[in-house]
Amino acid sequence: MNAFYTLRFTALRMMRDYITLLLLLIVPLILVTIFSMVLAGAEQEGMLLLDETSVKMVLLFQLFGGAIVMSYIHLDFFTQMRFRIQALPMNSTMYGFTIMLAGTIYSIVLGLILIVYTSLVFDVEWGSVGWSIFIVSLIALLSINVSLIFTFAVKNFKIAERLSEVYGVGAVVLAGMFFPMPDLALINGINEYLNPLTIAYQSVDAYRLSQMTQAWQSVFTLVSLIVLTFVIMLVVGRRRMP
Amino acid sequence: MTVYTFALKRSFRDKTNLLFLMFFPIAAIFLPSQAYWPSMPLGYQYFGVLILFVAIRLTGLLLEDRQKGVVKRVAAAPISHFRYLLENLLAFATIMLGQCVVVIVGGVLYGQELYQPFLLFILYLAFSVTAIALALAWNSFYRSRESSFLIFMSVIILISLLGGLLVPYEMLPEWIQKLSVVLPTYWLYKGIEWIVHGGDAIDFIFINSVLCVYSLLLLIVGSIRRIG
Repeated sequence: MNAFYTLRFTALRMMRDYITLLLLLIVPLILVTIFSMVLAGAEQEGMLLLDETSVKMVLLFQLFGGAIVMSYIHLDFFTQMRFRIQALPMNSTMYGFTIMLAGTIYSIVLGLILIVYTSLVFDVEWGSVGWSIFIVSLIALLSINVSLIFTFAVKNFKIAERLSEVYGVGAVVLAGMFFPMPDLALINGINEYLNPLTIAYQSVDAYRLSQMTQAWQSVFTLVSLIVLTFVIMLVVGRRRMP
Repeated sequence: MTVYTFALKRSFRDKTNLLFLMFFPIAAIFLPSQAYWPSMPLGYQYFGVLILFVAIRLTGLLLEDRQKGVVKRVAAAPISHFRYLLENLLAFATIMLGQCVVVIVGGVLYGQELYQPFLLFILYLAFSVTAIALALAWNSFYRSRESSFLIFMSVIILISLLGGLLVPYEMLPEWIQKLSVVLPTYWLYKGIEWIVHGGDAIDFIFINSVLCVYSLLLLIVGSIRRIG
């Protein structure tokens, strides 16, 4: 049996997971709507605050997109369900990858809905929707890798879940979205080379301003992080996977 | 007071709870003041949001008891439901009282501008009780602790935003401002504004009374769920 055949069922499972849909689609829609109402027309240094905040908010919700993948991997490979999965005539490792693939597509679709909503309803300037989707895909992939590293590296799944939240909230705090961060070389360095939120935003912003070199540099940083985390995920995953 | 003691022990046994109960309140003390908004140092503006998170984490124990059938066993034990609920709620209130003391005393010692620390403490305490009652009422509609917590997380962000804790209240559209009066977070915001700008003492008493009325109503809603 081809593991890709299960993709359809994973997608169905994700679509029926109403709580995740609520957290990753409905809440962002409401928050973006309220912020758009609050910030309508407000400017800072000649730039509409609405553009910056909406783009950052759509990107930040991608940081939590890995939660659904880590939860399915945990359920299917680390609980009683694993005996059923292993008894199936398919490559269970490939099945793990199909869950990752489905999770990435799921995050991208939710991101696309938010991008289209903000640009159509509130005229948020995204530069290019295609480029933004590309960046959303990268940040979604990275978040899934990071979440899976926590799933495999920590024995207690609840702690792994909390760590993935720390990763998301930490990125938001470091990006200065809750309150301005101090101008320290360490924090600036993290935001430039490690914080997926600021790197992704830099890329969208640079594309918007037609600074293609800067836009591609950020993409290169994101891709490097994805490759690095993927390798770490594979190494820790091979040790833990049944 | 056996249930009370166990509720305290159980609350501190959970590692994530420790983060919520100890690390975040201490971190809140050190968050800086902002030039334009909010008038209170940032940690003290966001402390209301933290109180809501702590309340849902703590009251989750009661939901867990219902999930695992502990409540049924309590029904067979020589203790009334009222006593069981009261002791649990008292334990949660004690923990939150401790947090409020730490945050206020810490802020005063650190030198944060808290305007009227004692009144701020009273306000936080009143809001903590409201938050516990709200979380209790919220949990009574759920069977699973996880679903309750996850959905409440979104609700916290929304009510904090609409209540004026996360963005300046004056910037919200007028119709949202009118609607947000029904939210407990709005009354916390009003209380903080009163502490910063001052005003008639009766206004502050009114704000705290509204929070107490909310607590009473929500406690009634939260405590009438049947065991089955």
